[in-house]
Amino acid sequence: MLLEIKNLKVKFGDKEILKGVNFNIKPKEKVVLLGPNGSGKTVLAQVIAGNRKYKINQGKIVFSHKDISNLSPEKITKMGISLAWQAPPKIPGVKFQDFLSKISKSKIINDIENFDLKISSILENELNTNISGGEKKISELLQAIVLKPKLAIFDEIDSGLDMKNLKRVCQLIEKELLKKGAATLFITHNGHILNYFKPDKTLVMVDGKIICQSKNYQQILKTIKKYGYEKCKKCQFSSNRP
Amino acid sequence: MAMKNVKNANFLQIDHEVQKISKVKGAEILTSPEAYQKIPWTRKFFLEKPNEGYFIWVKKQVDLPLLTCFSLNTYKTQQNLENLLVIEKGLKIKSNVICNALKENLCASHKAKGKIVLKEGARLKYSHFHWWGSKEIIESDYEFYLGPNSQLVYNYKNTHSSKNLFFRTYIEAEKKSDLNLNINLLGKNTKARFEEVLKLKGEDSRGIIRLRLVADKKSEIEGMSKIFALNKSIGHLDCQGLLINKDSKISLIPNLVCENKKAQLTHEASIGKVSEEELTYLRTRGLTEKQAIDLIVSGFLMKWT
Repeated sequence: MLLEIKNLKVKFGDKEILKGVNFNIKPKEKVVLLGPNGSGKTVLAQVIAGNRKYKINQGKIVFSHKDISNLSPEKITKMGISLAWQAPPKIPGVKFQDFLSKISKSKIINDIENFDLKISSILENELNTNISGGEKKISELLQAIVLKPKLAIFDEIDSGLDMKNLKRVCQLIEKELLKKGAATLFITHNGHILNYFKPDKTLVMVDGKIICQSKNYQQILKTIKKYGYEKCKKCQFSSNRP
Repeated sequence: MAMKNVKNANFLQIDHEVQKISKVKGAEILTSPEAYQKIPWTRKFFLEKPNEGYFIWVKKQVDLPLLTCFSLNTYKTQQNLENLLVIEKGLKIKSNVICNALKENLCASHKAKGKIVLKEGARLKYSHFHWWGSKEIIESDYEFYLGPNSQLVYNYKNTHSSKNLFFRTYIEAEKKSDLNLNINLLGKNTKARFEEVLKLKGEDSRGIIRLRLVADKKSEIEGMSKIFALNKSIGHLDCQGLLINKDSKISLIPNLVCENKKAQLTHEASIGKVSEEELTYLRTRGLTEKQAIDLIVSGFLMKWT
């Protein structure tokens, strides 16, 4: 197993956000995590990546057979987990191109230019500054690629991108991450990413818990679209609850 | 120590010894005591005979940057400099100034007074770098006179600050002249005080002063910037401080004085600490906490230089 989340309970301040999360990701597996706003998806991603603003009260996170629950973000990144942030902060004065070189384990800029993503404005600008929401997503993807992760987590990569750019982004994920053996965890509330990837496993998170997991993502999507996430709790896949 | 005395300097002084004065076509370069004796008009700038320092008079276009360098190299040396740079009408000049300590723990002092005169239509990009050991006492007191239609871009950068730093800059701007002053300091165990005064004397003169002050390791930094508008003019102060730890202190006092109803003066000032979110973000890219702080600080300081 590449990643094991075991009965993870996480608090922010006095509020419990994650209330006993369990799931696994195998090497090279494509996993999609669906859930409504405020269900705890982003907190889960941040906790896996080492953001200790959130306190782990119980449970653990095991990556490549090592408990990473108390490791620093940089150690987790070096072990092979990358996180594309949903809302990355501005870093004034730091040019993106220089930053990419600083964190890069490879030189892929020329290859990326072939994907027609029009990244010159991103490269020339300061990190996450004066760029559109869509460009921020592309910036996050480029950073994930140069880190060469074993597990790439994408937090809402499909929000803020138009369909044309989302398609190109997905092609890039396919070429630079999936074909190179990375596992992926796509966090999404709108499910647009599912137009381009057929996941090996789909998880549904509601109110800090994974309430359903299945290989049949189409059926899950159909249920959510028809009845919303609340009904999802009672759907025919209830036997698949972890 | 980095930025040791620079071999291609046009004027190089170590402690009290002038090591080198190079000939530059289009410019006259002398020590300031020599200039005081040989060139009578310099006396209205020096007031009395200076002991040491440079005099540079740019009479014709010089394309390469003029480089002056003052270094401290001997224990308890006390430099007391008076410098004068005059740029004739319509010339476009770059000047780089490096002031540094060649060794640690010199307990020396560097006091520099200077006057820089831009005649009508002259343009100067003046880049001033300080690189000191931790025990020096530094005083810098410069006056800039901007003639009509002249333009000054003054970038000051100090990433290795001394124990004590006093930095005063006075600028007088004539008609349609333009100032862009950027001051960047990374203070570690530093007590520093910056005083900038911009007098917008001429009609349609304009100026912007930007301070970026970083306080680390028990530093105390004060920034007092003032703009006077005496005529129809535009001025802006932009003062920002960044605190790295709890033991440091920054105070910013922007001051605007307007004596003309057609003038526009504005200011913004803020002091903050390093954002936890920015730190975590950079650490999720594999940078250590220290590397992340260094990057945030260098971005904060690099923004305008």
